[in-house]
This record gives sequence, structure tokens and C-alpha cells, in this order.
Amino acid sequence: MVLCATESRAAGTPIPHGTVELISEIQSIAAGRPLYLGLHFQLERGWHIYWVNPGDSGEPPRVKWDLPKGVSVGAIEWPTPRRLGTPSIVDFGYEDDVMLIVPVRVDAGFAAQKEARVGAEVKVLVCREMCIPGKAEVSVSLPVKPSQPVPERETSALFAAARKSMPRPAPASWRFRVIDGKDSFELVAEVGHQITQASFFPLAESQIKNAGPQDIVPTSTGFRLKLTKSDQLLKPIERLQGVLVLSADKAYSIDVPVGKPGAAKNSSGNEIRSTQSSESSKEVTQK
Amino acid sequence: MKHSKLYPTLVTVLLLCAAPILMSAAKVGEPAPGFTGTASNGKTYRLSDYRGKFVVLEWHNNGCPYVGKHYNSGNMQRLQKQWTGRGVVWFTILSSAPGKQGFVSASEENEYLAKEQAAPTAALLDPTGEIGHLYDAKTSPQMVVINPQGVVIYDGAIDDKPTTDLADIPVATNYVSLALDAAMAGKEVATAATRPYGCSVKYGDSSH
Repeated sequence: MVLCATESRAAGTPIPHGTVELISEIQSIAAGRPLYLGLHFQLERGWHIYWVNPGDSGEPPRVKWDLPKGVSVGAIEWPTPRRLGTPSIVDFGYEDDVMLIVPVRVDAGFAAQKEARVGAEVKVLVCREMCIPGKAEVSVSLPVKPSQPVPERETSALFAAARKSMPRPAPASWRFRVIDGKDSFELVAEVGHQITQASFFPLAESQIKNAGPQDIVPTSTGFRLKLTKSDQLLKPIERLQGVLVLSADKAYSIDVPVGKPGAAKNSSGNEIRSTQSSESSKEVTQK
Repeated sequence: MKHSKLYPTLVTVLLLCAAPILMSAAKVGEPAPGFTGTASNGKTYRLSDYRGKFVVLEWHNNGCPYVGKHYNSGNMQRLQKQWTGRGVVWFTILSSAPGKQGFVSASEENEYLAKEQAAPTAALLDPTGEIGHLYDAKTSPQMVVINPQGVVIYDGAIDDKPTTDLADIPVATNYVSLALDAAMAGKEVATAATRPYGCSVKYGDSSH
């Protein structure tokens, strides 16, 4: 929409009980220069949308991109979710105001002369007690300019807040392992000091029981967290990936190989990854 | 094929003990929890009366867009007709609590069934959520398949397209049909458990 190419951002496009807008961190595009887009959702009080793993019900927003030649998008970066729902049905998602960040690659051969339009068809399920599916067409048009303009203040603030809401890689010195029990996984963390509060959000569905308890046992150098297996989990898993939240602001992405207690590598005989120092104590490289 | 060697009475006792603590009693490969339900047609149905038959359980909420996808397209009705035509017992289960989305009276449900030309064996009214909690049903339309030995052989989504989009139905893999086809042919069910996509079941313990 050429009409909207002004300094201030256009109003969001309506979705059920909220709006969504597509914004660019910097207001120009150039060959070979990556940029970040934001899918900014604003929801009426009490309504929510979902994380990439929605939990027991719901579904995450899905995006179909309409991109100029030479432009490609990377994987969506999802802010740390919240636990939503009821005692027996637990969902993972966001209320109020949330922005997903989308890294964008612009090829060295990107040849547009004046302006590039990035469009997105967003399908999103918005729920409170009930759920309403919505669809919105959003777009952002960026002038082609080799010089990188200073981001405007409001946009900068939105991106800064969104980045703050993202889980970070865990410190390199931290060690995790997962012990595969009969009905539970035990996440063992060695972080160098005692941790008394932790909750885990699984990236993959049907691994842990979302509504199950997550009992923590603090240790002098970290913690052990017991996670009940999902009833839908019928086969062994190789890795437990997800977001570990230690307190309101401290969220970390983890990706931990799963090992049987005291047993040899699982029967499927997979390769030993370079990050695994031994079969019993598997260390993890954070993404 | 695995057969349960437990005496029915013992199973019942175990289930009665398990239900109140909200541990999931239904699990693939294990005996299906017994229940007695009152249907919108006024009759009472007992799961144990259907030993020797395949039984499908379908969690339902007429206001849920995921359920709407399968009824507005005629997909659910087609499945109901196809499988009851082959001797399968099909229970549609309504676990919405009074005042919640999807809660209906018996006559409202009968009107709905007629309007939609739905063809389950019966629609069981479960406003207390007892049957829903017994199976740890999370969503509508969650689907469970029970074999003639009374063992759960499938628990999860209706198909592999967790969306509200009608256009996905023709290209979806239907897990219920896959499970029934395999089990009727004496084969193992390849995909026996999936994430049951949809709207959360509107139990009385909802926080809103």
C-alpha cells in the first residue's frame, strides 16, 4: 500500500478481538542487507493467541508470505509464552500485546529499483472462552535505499521490547541432561548455583503432559525438574527442546539429548552427536 | 493383538479409583475406561455393552470452529455413516458444562443432529464432564477408537490438518479411518496417538 508509506505506522488490520500489523525495523531495503520484520498483535483484554506449540488446544498463527524476488524469510522468533487455560487443559500463548520477529534475507542480487512490498496472509486463532479463527492480509512497503536510515523511535521501542521477550540461549557454562524415566522425563540442570523455581515449555507437542505438575528439586548447583510424559507419547524421543523459565524475566532456549538412566544409547542406534561428551552425561550446546 | 486379562469388575474398581484424581485413565494399549451415558434420544448407553464391536468416541461442541469445519463440510457425517454402516458404534460426546459453549439440552442436540444429518449411534450428554475427564479429553473434536476387546487403539486428532480450514479436509489423512481400517484388517495401528487438535473442552472447571 503505497498510500501508507509515511513516517508514522498505519493502524493495525482487524482480526477477531484485536489487530495485527506488519512492521519493518528499518524503513528501507537494500541488496545484501538483512532486516527484521515484526508481526505485531494487539488483543482485547482476556483474549489470547498461541505459541508455536499451542499446548492442549488451539493453534499458532500461520503466515503465508508474498515476497519480492530476491527476498526470503527465516524462521519466526517466538517470545516466551505464558501458561493459559484451566487446571485440566493447559495452553501456551500470549495475551494483550505480542510481537513475533521475522528475520529477512535480501540477496546480493536483489534488483528492485524503487520500492519493495512484503505481504503476509496471517491466519490466527483468537480465543478466550471460545475460539474465533481470523485471517488478515498485511503488508509493508519499503523504499530501496543503500544507506541505512535510523529506525524511528516507536518502532525501535517495539523491537526492543520484542527482543526482551524472547528466550535467550543459556549461558555456555550451564549443563543440562534429560533422564528418560518410565512415565516422566527428569531435566537435570547444572548452573553453578541453586535454582528454586523453574518451568518448562516444550517446543514439540505430545512430549510432556501440559497440565501435569512440574516438580522441582533444587540442588546446590542447579535443579532437577520432573516432567510427566504425555499420554500421546508412545515412542522414545531423542531430544527435549523448549523454553526454560526460571523467573518472570529469565527465559532460556534449551535443546537437550534424552538419555536412558544408566543404559546404553537407545535401540534405534542413532549417531552420537558431537555435542555429546559421553553416553551418560550429555552436554548441550545452546543454539 | 493384545487382550486384557483383567476381570471386568477389577477394571471398574480401578477406574472408579482413578477418575477423581484426574489422572488420565484412557491410554492407547490399555483398557478403555467404562462409562454409562445418557443420550439426547433419552436412552442410556453403557460402553461395556459393546464388547465385540469397534467403538468410536467423538468429542463435540457445536460452537467450536474446528468442529464446524468437519460438520459444515459433511466430513464428520460421512465418517459416521461410513463406519456405523460397517458395524462400528459411534458415540458423539458433549462434555460442555452448563453455561459454557457447546452445552445443549437433549432436544437442542436432537435438532442439531437432524439439521446436520449426523448419524452417530448416539449423542451422549456429559455436562458434568465425567466421561470427558475419564478419557482426559482435551479438545473437540478429539477422537478415540476402542477395539472389540475393549482396548483403546487410537487417541487423538481426527486428522493431520490442525486447522479450521475446510479446504484442508480433502487433503487430510484421517487418523480414525486409518486406525479402523488397520485394526479391521488385523494389522497394528501405525499412528495410535496424536495431539488432539481443536477447541478446549469446556469443562465446569474452566477458569473463565
